[in-house]
Amino acid sequence: MKNCEQYEELFAGWINNELKPAEKEKLEQHLDGCPACREELAGMQQLWALMDEAEVPDPSPKMQAGFTAILNDFKTAETRKKQASAGLKVQLGWLLQWRQKWPLAYTFAIILVGFGCGYLFFDLKGSKRQDQQMSALTTQVHELKQTMALALMENPSASERIRGVSYTAEIKHADKEVIEALLATLNNDPNVNVRLSTLDALTRLANHPEVRLGLVQSITTQESPLMQSAIADVMLKLQEKRSVKSFRELLKQKNLDNGVRDKIKATITQLI
Amino acid sequence: MNSLADNTIMLKVKAGDLDKMGLLFERYNRPLYGFLFHMTYQRETSEDLVQQVFYKMLKYRDTFTATGEFVHWMYSIARNTLKDQGKSLKQRVKHENTDDHAERLPGGLTPQEQLEKKQAKQRLYQAMERLSDSHREVLTLSKFQELKYQEIAQILDISEIAVKTRAHRAMQELKGIYEKMER
Repeated sequence: MKNCEQYEELFAGWINNELKPAEKEKLEQHLDGCPACREELAGMQQLWALMDEAEVPDPSPKMQAGFTAILNDFKTAETRKKQASAGLKVQLGWLLQWRQKWPLAYTFAIILVGFGCGYLFFDLKGSKRQDQQMSALTTQVHELKQTMALALMENPSASERIRGVSYTAEIKHADKEVIEALLATLNNDPNVNVRLSTLDALTRLANHPEVRLGLVQSITTQESPLMQSAIADVMLKLQEKRSVKSFRELLKQKNLDNGVRDKIKATITQLI
Repeated sequence: MNSLADNTIMLKVKAGDLDKMGLLFERYNRPLYGFLFHMTYQRETSEDLVQQVFYKMLKYRDTFTATGEFVHWMYSIARNTLKDQGKSLKQRVKHENTDDHAERLPGGLTPQEQLEKKQAKQRLYQAMERLSDSHREVLTLSKFQELKYQEIAQILDISEIAVKTRAHRAMQELKGIYEKMER
């Protein structure tokens, strides 16, 4: 019977004796005309009554004892917490008193404590991991500088190129790429100021053999008297004997500036 | 009414008078144990769970708002505790005390009647055990804990109609299992 479903919730109320008079009447009317529901409900009621017989065993005394122990533990823990917070309050009160009496000393003390905490905090954070992070960061900055230097050296503006060249001074371990870029700038840059700066930068990198070789090779390609004389100075400073041959080659050039010619001759004499 | 006092007591516990929890334990350890026993059919587990529930009520006493009844709050915590233990309880052992109960029968019955009653009770226990958890829960709360459907609705956090429907389905399931065993 399809309309029996609407009485389901009344069934539950019936066995539990929770029905209002109106609901009870409604259900009774239905039951009068529906033997199936009557039988169903009677069966449920019987079981419901049988459930009264279901007994729950007594809990063992352990349960009560366990609860008492839990309660006591809990109380002890709470008291300790309270004492700790009360202690903190007393100390804070004392600090506040101090603040009124000695404002300046108080401020210094607080700053000191702050530094101490900060120091402890960073120290505790594991210097090892920090070191790793630091070195990773350093590497990144290094790479960034290098990229920037290389990019700037390609810039159309001469002053930017000089900036790029001077950046290389900040790179601790110049790699091949940087050295090549510097040597290329030294030989090909149209601006003499850029080339002079590059010479400066390369002089600082003279501990690299390829830099020394590049400088020696560059002697004959330089046409500006300024550059020729500057390279002569550098070679003298580096005591680079291989440059003598290049300088002699340079002396063969007829249009060489007379002042430069004298200087180179002097340099050769000093190097030999 | 006990319940008003229950809430007052629990509010005292909340305010820091932890010893008052002992009063609530005295009042509710048996009903709570009964509920947990019907949900697990394991004595020791039920005892442990009762202790856990009271520990949680101490620990989370700040969450008690007294907007509802203390018992509802207690059963909600009990349900959550059961849920947390859910997996281990799935491998439920057989009803430990079936025979025990069946032995204790009222006198005045013929041996035949006694035997039949004993068998009926045993079948009921077994049928109860086979009920799904949510069905056994609603029946336990209404039959053994003697809570009204409206109260159960609060504990289960569903509508009263849903509780009644569930109770009816639970009785249907129980009757089905019971009658199958009768044959």
